Amino acid sequence: MTRFGKIVLGAAFGLALGAQAQAQSKGELHIYNWTDYTSPELMKKFSEETGIKVTVDTYDSNETLLAKLKSGAAGYDIAVASHDFVQILSREGLIQKVHAAKFPDYGNLKKEWQSPAWDPGNEYSIPYDWGTTSFGYDTAVYTKPVDSLKTFYDPPAELKGKIGMFGSPTEVMSLVLVYLGKPQCNSNPADLKEAAAVLEKQKPSVKLYNSDGIQDRMASGETVAHQVWSGDFRRARAQRASLKYLFAKEGGIAWMDNIVVPAHAPNLENAKIFMQFMLKPENSGMHSTFAGYPTAVTGAEKFTDPAVATAPEYLPPKGWKYTFAPSCDEKAIRAYDRIWTKLRQ
Amino acid sequence: MSAQPFNWRHLPGGRSLMTSLLVFLYAPLAILVIYSFNASRIVTVWGGFSTRWFGMVWDNPDIRRTAYTSITVAIMATILATAFAVAAALALERGRLPGLRGLSESLIALPLVVPEIVVAITTLVFFSAIGLKLGAGNLVIAHTVFCIPFALLPMRARLRDMGQSAENAARDLYASDWQVFRRITLPLMLPAIASGAMLSFVTSLDDFIISMMVADAGTTTLPVYVYGMMRVGVTPEVNAVSAILLGVSLLLVVMALLLTGRKPAAT
Repeated sequence: MTRFGKIVLGAAFGLALGAQAQAQSKGELHIYNWTDYTSPELMKKFSEETGIKVTVDTYDSNETLLAKLKSGAAGYDIAVASHDFVQILSREGLIQKVHAAKFPDYGNLKKEWQSPAWDPGNEYSIPYDWGTTSFGYDTAVYTKPVDSLKTFYDPPAELKGKIGMFGSPTEVMSLVLVYLGKPQCNSNPADLKEAAAVLEKQKPSVKLYNSDGIQDRMASGETVAHQVWSGDFRRARAQRASLKYLFAKEGGIAWMDNIVVPAHAPNLENAKIFMQFMLKPENSGMHSTFAGYPTAVTGAEKFTDPAVATAPEYLPPKGWKYTFAPSCDEKAIRAYDRIWTKLRQ
Repeated sequence: MSAQPFNWRHLPGGRSLMTSLLVFLYAPLAILVIYSFNASRIVTVWGGFSTRWFGMVWDNPDIRRTAYTSITVAIMATILATAFAVAAALALERGRLPGLRGLSESLIALPLVVPEIVVAITTLVFFSAIGLKLGAGNLVIAHTVFCIPFALLPMRARLRDMGQSAENAARDLYASDWQVFRRITLPLMLPAIASGAMLSFVTSLDDFIISMMVADAGTTTLPVYVYGMMRVGVTPEVNAVSAILLGVSLLLVVMALLLTGRKPAAT
């Protein structure tokens, strides 16, 4: 067995050495981001300009990011988190302050996106991109003009039984509350009762509650209306031209993904360089072209592919009301879950 | 009335029940593979035969990078797990472990019994507590642990099947322990070792939960990447990657089965 012992030991040792050498070499940046959300061309440009080698790892949800950072996964210099998770991550001490307001190009951020509610003073984060949540539908199936979310919560015969809804209670609830004109993170029993009634009434018309594969369902006609993210819907519309995204008169939900730096990031300085790189309009525009979502940087539009930037879902019309659904307290989440459980029975 | 002994093969309706179970289990896989040849962008709508998604998979640098990580980790984990499993198989089948056999067996089989998510999280917490940062090495260690029981299975079966007569004969002829192992046991075990190695390779290659949690920076594996791809919408590209993974896994499992099924050369 000694020989086997040696082989095992040697292999483990060689592996450890190799990994160590890799970790010690300078000029690296480890990005942890959603899958297919990091433009390869942009990363190439970043490496060419700065000489920093970029590796991208991917995850599927904010929850995965939270779980990994919380269980102590180190090694990532940059992560991308939705606005509600920026609060959670900073509260838990899982991301560190970068004082983005001191970056020379901080002024490139549009005024309306500076110092957002979830990160006052941009101490932890800068915006990556943002988008909206509403309903999209097929104008070939339902030909009458639509301006209200009512069409989907209390659908006409053409849409009955062919409506898709998100599969997560918080996202379903936040849009219903917008429709009813009620505040977010609501734990007021009267408001909740009303919201639950709307969803219960809509339920027989709903084909399924699922946030995955919306593009497919809309493009194939399996559903003719769906609660949807703006960027997802643009991809579906590329395959079925009769689809239309609704900027309802009641308003809608907005979200923003943000660049953050995990606590204990091994390459803090490189992470800051990356954040500043993303504040340049030409880079931000390149990202926007890739992801299909608008960014928060002034002048990025000029560098965004016009086919993307002029898509009807890309930016909401001026003056359209949108609400950033914040991370709710436990009381509201519990109430949402109760409504959801009852709805899905 | 002729007393026919009970035979569950002749259970009324057994055949149709079995058929429907098999269809239920395997139809999704068949559909997945069929739709990977779909020309249409939409997964659920057939648009004619095409292999373009396989081309896209090949051209996708992320897929190639993560596949490389997966294969490297799988090879390393296989080598380590197989080595440990050979030792464990010999100890459990040939060694004298008074009172320890049961304990050792359960310890080795633990990764099969404990929910994978528990193993994943505890491993990650443990690694970060001791500050282990070996890049892909972290994954290799985690994978090795759960690959060992898979590698062990065919080896123990082989050791039990082949009996000890050849080894005892060698000992009668004054062969040392090492000589017995080198000349007799190892060659006879070899098909089982190969088969165990293939099983652990497949297990490591296909693992998702542990890889997702334990992976350090720069070591996203292919299944983790594919899972993330689904967020952006299931395109036939996902089907194509899955079909390739499925094909490789099937091939290896079939080879492993063939190897263990082979009659021992010495008898």
